[in-house]
Amino acid sequence: MIYGKWYAKGSSAQSDAELQITDDTFVLKVKDGISYSALLHTLEVGSRLGNVARKITLEDGSVFATQDNNAIDLAFKKQLRGKGFMHSLESRMHWVLVALALTIISSIVFFKWGVPWASEKIAHALPHETNQLIASNTLEFLDKYIFEESMIPEKQMQKIRMHFKSKVVPLGSSNDEIRYKLHFRLWKDGDLNIPNALALPSGDIIVTDKFVQLCENQQEMDAVLLHEMGHIEHRHTLEMVIESTFVTVAVMMIAGDSNGVADMGVGLGSLLVSSNYSRGHESEADQYAFKHMLLAKLDPVAFSNIMNRITDYMQMPSGTTIKQKDNEAGTEVLDYISSHPSTKQRVEIARQYSECFHKGLTTCEIIEPAGSTLTLK
Amino acid sequence: MKALSFDGSGIEYFKIWIVNVLLTILTLGLYHPWAKVRNNRYFYANSTLDGRNFEYHATGKQLFVGYLIAMALFITYVIINQISPTGSLILVAILFLAIPWLILRSMIFNMRMTSFSNVHFDFSGTLGRAYINFFAYPIALYLGLVLITIAMTMSISVGGVLAALLALVLALGMITFLIFALAFIKKKNTEYFMDHSQYGQGEFKTDVSIKEFMMISLKTTGVAILVMLITGIVVGVGFYATVGADSLMLFGGAEQDPELITEKIKSLMPVLPIFYLGVIIASIFIMAYSTTLNRNYVYANTRLDENVTFSSTLKVLPLAWILITNFIAIIMSLGFAFPWAKVRAARIMLENTQVNAEKGFDDYLMQKQNQTSSLGEQIGDAFDVDVGIGF
Repeated sequence: MIYGKWYAKGSSAQSDAELQITDDTFVLKVKDGISYSALLHTLEVGSRLGNVARKITLEDGSVFATQDNNAIDLAFKKQLRGKGFMHSLESRMHWVLVALALTIISSIVFFKWGVPWASEKIAHALPHETNQLIASNTLEFLDKYIFEESMIPEKQMQKIRMHFKSKVVPLGSSNDEIRYKLHFRLWKDGDLNIPNALALPSGDIIVTDKFVQLCENQQEMDAVLLHEMGHIEHRHTLEMVIESTFVTVAVMMIAGDSNGVADMGVGLGSLLVSSNYSRGHESEADQYAFKHMLLAKLDPVAFSNIMNRITDYMQMPSGTTIKQKDNEAGTEVLDYISSHPSTKQRVEIARQYSECFHKGLTTCEIIEPAGSTLTLK
Repeated sequence: MKALSFDGSGIEYFKIWIVNVLLTILTLGLYHPWAKVRNNRYFYANSTLDGRNFEYHATGKQLFVGYLIAMALFITYVIINQISPTGSLILVAILFLAIPWLILRSMIFNMRMTSFSNVHFDFSGTLGRAYINFFAYPIALYLGLVLITIAMTMSISVGGVLAALLALVLALGMITFLIFALAFIKKKNTEYFMDHSQYGQGEFKTDVSIKEFMMISLKTTGVAILVMLITGIVVGVGFYATVGADSLMLFGGAEQDPELITEKIKSLMPVLPIFYLGVIIASIFIMAYSTTLNRNYVYANTRLDENVTFSSTLKVLPLAWILITNFIAIIMSLGFAFPWAKVRAARIMLENTQVNAEKGFDDYLMQKQNQTSSLGEQIGDAFDVDVGIGF
């Protein structure tokens, strides 16, 4: 005997009722009311969810609801075949533990390898016009709000451009569609002249006055220009757009039914994930530069020299160099949210490539330095 | 008076939730509508009043098409947002224009998909009123603030004692206007959501006043200032005890010595999260305060026909405790305590909802309803549009 409540179709009135099932027929007796008896398959049984009241709809649209889920599962075994799959997953502890483990593993796989892998595939499947589209107006925007006109003499610009076009571009470029173009700009932040080089996906590379000034020889500048070309050849900007789309959509699904406060944790998580992708791109561009330098018989140590000089300059506004103290608790935390790998790691990899260079090799096996587990690729 | 109760448990919901999460990941999000249905069914069906329970009726199939369109729109939005500033401005404008429609469609869909004791709810709000409430009023509020700001800037630029006095009056006027306008909008929204809600043939009716909402926001502002002040003092003392005030003082002379600056920043690193935690806990407390006051006021002044009255017995401290511990548990468990937290939150809300039905709930009859599309509700969901009074 299964006890429950009976509701007439579309009515909120509740009456006690009892359901008796024998083989494939049933009798439903409503207290002080009608009594139904018919074949079992005329009843419509809902699937089970935890221990919430189970609803059984009769042919006339009236409803019998009961808490006795186990009795229903037993009596309607035949009808429920295939319908109880979700409940059998949800109710067995070992399946739940499997689900928990799979969830953790698949989220890690998804964010760590899935998103970068898919983004790379999509980015390279798109036509080069996409790169031009996302770069359109970027330089105008930067000129308007960030850059000032360069103070470098026209003659020096010409010389650098010539060298870039004739020597550096042929080294790395594998794609005729990309039109490389070098721009010179002054970037000031207060009194500080910022040394930097940027790549736009369209093939425009911007170098700042201070960067040109800090380069002590041609090889140092070539190393950085090759790094920027690496970003362009690997379509990193496009990859970044696709990666953040993945992350934002995933975050929307995760945070969709959480409250506003927990969203902050989700926000922090997505910041960590995004900076991780960005560091991956930087390492990839570094490697691109090193590999092409080896092929062109240039010593990759030039890259670490200019990187160190830039870091020192940025740390010491007055211009004198100080020893960089790395690897302490504070900086390690910062490493996780930084968009670039630490200079120390980059310099270490450059050193290994430089060793290969001195051995006369054109390819190089790299032992990733400790701490570079932070980078993904 | 009888209180609602929540019959589910954290561990039972955890099992349902983790299977949902896994299937959603493995299907790259396609399972999401079915997951949503299972979640909602669990929470609705476990909400009971005197042996009768709520039910969620939407099916995954019913949500799926709306969900796909909503996702396509959301992904387009995310991409354009990244590559074109003008494009994203246009999209935000379109979204703002669409919000009233999204709210209305969500209300209709959600109410029709909900039943209590075998009878469905319904919503009869109109699109015109939705545009007045969720579009015209907010714009009027914004324009009012702009006008007062312009007047203030003008009177300051004129100079002189009289102009300064005028600016002061305008500043006070601005605060008064803001508090009044927000209370006015809150009253109008509460009326929109409540007065157009139906249960079977029964109609909800609310009777709320601007004055009371103004009182609530004044009280909340006062409490917010006080709580932030206390947090500031507590964090400051904690800071003093751990890092020491002398390190703060030294910042003054440290500009010349970059190594010292780096040292100082490093010593601050471990204290920063504690500072943030303090601010977050304080904000949750303020939110709990505001929710409690608003909810208790609205429930006490809402009825269903002449038959049913409601009341909310929520108290600030227990609610704040639940919300703060939920937040900490979710963060510490990297999200895996979410089911437990959600059950706790549902329980405190339901157990503090009292219903007084003199003639009982036997006389309600289901009214004829047309099929409704889930599109608006799904878009609203994707873009996180706030629907309903929120408690």
